[in-house]
Amino acid sequence: MTKSPSSKNKPGKVVLELRNVVKTYTSGNTTFNALDGVSLQIREGEFVSITGPSGSGKSTLMHIIGLLDNPTSGEVLLQDRNISRLKETQMAQIRNVTLGFVFQQFNLLAKTSALENVQLPLIYSDIARAKHDSLGIEMLTKVGLESKLKNTPAQLSGGQQQRVAIARALINDPKIILADEPTGNLDSKSGKDVMELFHHLNEVEGRTIVLVTHDMDLARQANRIIIIKDGKVTTQNV
Amino acid sequence: MFKLKPPLSVLIKSSIRSILKNKGRTILTSLGIIIGVTSVILLTSIGNGLKIYISQQFESLGANTIFVAPGKLFNDKGGFNNQGGANRFISTSFSLTDVTDLKRGARGTTVVPVSVATVEIKSNKTTKSDVSIVGSNYQYGVSANYLPSAGNGRWFSKEEEDKKADVVILGSAIATDLFPNSSALGKRIIVKSKNMKVIGVLDKKGASFGGPDVDQYIFTPIGNVFEFNGNQKINQMLIKTSSKDQVAETKATVNKIMLKKFDKDAFTVFDSSQLLSSINSIIGTLTIGLAGIAAISLVVGGIGIMNIMLVTVSERTKEVGLRKAIGAYPRAILIQFLIEAMILSSIGGFIGIALGWLGSLAINKFFPAQVTFSSVLVAFGVSAIVGIIFGVAPASKASKLSPIEALRYE
Repeated sequence: MTKSPSSKNKPGKVVLELRNVVKTYTSGNTTFNALDGVSLQIREGEFVSITGPSGSGKSTLMHIIGLLDNPTSGEVLLQDRNISRLKETQMAQIRNVTLGFVFQQFNLLAKTSALENVQLPLIYSDIARAKHDSLGIEMLTKVGLESKLKNTPAQLSGGQQQRVAIARALINDPKIILADEPTGNLDSKSGKDVMELFHHLNEVEGRTIVLVTHDMDLARQANRIIIIKDGKVTTQNV
Repeated sequence: MFKLKPPLSVLIKSSIRSILKNKGRTILTSLGIIIGVTSVILLTSIGNGLKIYISQQFESLGANTIFVAPGKLFNDKGGFNNQGGANRFISTSFSLTDVTDLKRGARGTTVVPVSVATVEIKSNKTTKSDVSIVGSNYQYGVSANYLPSAGNGRWFSKEEEDKKADVVILGSAIATDLFPNSSALGKRIIVKSKNMKVIGVLDKKGASFGGPDVDQYIFTPIGNVFEFNGNQKINQMLIKTSSKDQVAETKATVNKIMLKKFDKDAFTVFDSSQLLSSINSIIGTLTIGLAGIAAISLVVGGIGIMNIMLVTVSERTKEVGLRKAIGAYPRAILIQFLIEAMILSSIGGFIGIALGWLGSLAINKFFPAQVTFSSVLVAFGVSAIVGIIFGVAPASKASKLSPIEALRYE
C-alpha cells in the first residue's frame, strides 16, 4: 500500500502502543484467544485503519485501543504510560480526555439538541461550564452544522447526525479519534462526506485517527492499514 | 474531596427531561407514592385537627376547673382506665351532702353539682323524647362557659335556683328543633308535664367527639332534675379554683375529703389538663397507627418506582454505554439514575402533599383537620427516601453495565 499522496503530516511520536496483547474469552471449558499476541504502535498524526474479516478480533482490538476493555496479558501504553491494569473509573477518565469515539449508529441522545449532544463529554470533564457553549458551537461549526445547533437527531439526516457525533468526539481535544464503521449506516454520498471530514481532520488539523472497518476500500484511504486475522496482526503496512 | 461530575444541576436537568419524555408513565408510576403521601397527610392532619379542637374545648372550660366524677377514670399510667370502669360509673353517685362538704373543705372555690335526667319534652310544634336535661346551680353557666351570648337571654339566678323556678336554657340544636321558625327565647315548653319558660338559648358549641353534644342539652336548676329523677343523686361535680396555681392543692384537698366517704376506685378527681393529655395520647397513638398503615402504600409505590426504573435502565442501555464510552464513570451513572428515581418519587410526594392539603381543607368543612408542617416534611422526606431505596437496585444495575455490551445492546 502507498501512503495517501495528500498526506502532509509526518507521523510524530508514539501515542498508543500495544505490546504482545492477549485477550482471552472463556466460555465453559473452552478458552478462546480473541487477540493472540498483538503488538502495534499508533503515532501522533497518523490515519490508521484496522480491518479484517468478522470474527478476526477486530472489535476486541478496538475495545482495547478504545480503553473500553483490559487485556488478559500484555501491555497497553498511552503516551508511555502503562494503562493495561487500570480501574474502571480511571479508564473512564482517560477515555474522557484522550479518546473521541465515532460509532456506526451515531449514538446520539434522542430528543436532545445537537449542541447538547456535542457537549455531553464535557459534563464528565473538568472543563469549566462557562466554556461549554462556545466549545460546542465551535465544534459544530467545524463539521459544518453551525445552523443546526438546536436540532434534535430526529431533525437531522444520517450524515448530519454522524457529523454531530464527530463534533462530539472532537470536543475534548482527544489524542486519538476512534471511528468504528463510521459510514456503515450512511448512504454513499454522506459516507463520502464523512470520510472527507476525517481526512480534513487528519491532514489539516493533524488529528490521529483510527478507523475500524471491514470495508477494504475504506481502509485503503488511510495512511496505514493494520489487517487482523484470527487474533493476530497479519499485515502492518507502514 | 470527591467532585461530582457532572454537577448536580446538570443531572437534575437531564433527569427531569427523561422523566418528561414519558409523562403518562411518570404519573402512573408516582400514583403509589401520591396515594401514600396523600393518606399520610390527611390522617395526620385529622389527628392534629382533633387535638387542636379538643384543646380548644378544654381551654373554654378553663385550666382552673377540677372535675369529680364517679368511677375510676384513669389507670396508673395516665391513660383511661378500661377495666370495669363502666360498672363503677353507674354504681357511684354523689349527694348534696358531698357538695356541702366540698364547699366547706375547699375554701375559696366554687363547687357546682351536675345532675342529669332523661325526659320527654314538648313545644307547641313538636315532641322530643330522650332529651338530656342537665340540672345544676346558678354558677354553672359561668363555670362551664355556657352563658347565652348577648340578646339570647341569660342563665338562671340564685333565687331561681333556690325556689326551683320553672326555667330552662336550651342548647342551640334543640332550640331549633323545638321552635324551627322562630326564636325559642321567652317560649314555653313542657318537660315531663312541667310547664317551663325558656330564658336563654346557647350559641352553637358543636359536639365533642364521643362526648356529650351540648347543643342537644337543656339546662335547669338542679332541684327540677331531682324532681324528674325522683331522687337527689348528683352525677358529677365541678370545682372552679380562683387561679390555675391552686388546682393541684385543691385537687389534693378534694381527694382527701372524698376518700373519707368513698372507696378510692369509686370516684376520680381530675383537672382538664389531665384529661386533655390522656385524650391527646390516645389520638396521637391512633394517628401514628393509621398513618403507619397508610405508609404501607408508600412501600408499594416504591416498588412501582423500582419496576419502572428497571425498565428505564433496559431502555437506555445504549445511552449508558455511550455515556461510559465518552467518560462517565460508574458512580456518575449510578447518581444519574438515583436522582431520576428520587425525582420520580418526589413528584409523587409533591402531588400527594398538594392533594392531602386540599383534602384536609375539604374535610375541615365538617371535621377538624389541620395539616402540620412536620407531616409535610416527613411525607416529603419519606417519599424521597423511598426513591433512593428503591432506586438503588436499578441505578446500580445501570452503573455496572459493561460499556461494550451496552453499546452493542439493541
